[in-house]
Amino acid sequence: MTRPPHSSKVVIVPCSGIGKTYGTVSREAAYDLTEDLRPEDTQLVALSMLVLGDESARCAVADNPAITIDGCKLACASKMVKESGGRVAQEIAVLDVYRRYKQFKPQGIAELNEGGLQLAQALAEEVAVTVDTLVSENKGGRNA
Amino acid sequence: MSEFLETTVDKFTFKVATDCLYNAEGIWAKAEGNRVRIGLSDFLQQHSGDVAFAEVKSIGNEVAYGDEIAAIETIKVNISLTSPVTGKVVEVNPAMSNAPEAINQDPYGAGWLAVVEPIDWAADKSRLLDPQAYFTKMKREAEQEVKKG
Repeated sequence: MTRPPHSSKVVIVPCSGIGKTYGTVSREAAYDLTEDLRPEDTQLVALSMLVLGDESARCAVADNPAITIDGCKLACASKMVKESGGRVAQEIAVLDVYRRYKQFKPQGIAELNEGGLQLAQALAEEVAVTVDTLVSENKGGRNA
Repeated sequence: MSEFLETTVDKFTFKVATDCLYNAEGIWAKAEGNRVRIGLSDFLQQHSGDVAFAEVKSIGNEVAYGDEIAAIETIKVNISLTSPVTGKVVEVNPAMSNAPEAINQDPYGAGWLAVVEPIDWAADKSRLLDPQAYFTKMKREAEQEVKKG
């Protein structure tokens, strides 16, 4: 089977937990990262597409380093990337990030409160640092 | 090493340590010499969700049976935890400030909350549930939760 073309980017796979505050934080952070902070270096892959076996999504995680953002300890995003043949460069749990930003208490589901949005932003900024490192390593590898 | 009563309700398995006594909300108390160690039951921690923060009354505080001895914030709720014993807090689990997930990972072991020096342990004991009684109560609550969906 021919793989669809894709560019080399860091793949971001957030939690798909619908109806859960921490899942919403993970997705909000992924949007912040892929749309605002590092649009050139990242690619958002929906967990549901991996679950469905979408070829493009599976190729993306198989060929690029992935950063997963899980909303709970079931860690569906991390597990699914691994099951899809991907390499998880960093696994992030929203709860761990919240422990570092106690002032940003997330609430809400469809719409996050201000604390939730700030937590998502903080999370995205942390992930951006990892993205920069991965991109730098990738460039270094290609130049070697 | 604790032994457990165990039941599976729906997809969840709950353990009740047989060497502890329990208050109605699911705080366990375990006598150790002249002191009592306390923590959350397996059912209470699973029902409450992943713990983000835990604050336990500091050493030297006196608590009465039924008074708040700790508060936890989980991904679902904020809960006030009441003391199953009257006495003075003499030890607090240091993990509560930097790794409160120990409550979820090992509720009857590394996830203990505090040690209290009781004033009248015999009186407190008489108000607590033995493991079988708590097991029955917990199982009923778990089954009701499943029915509620």
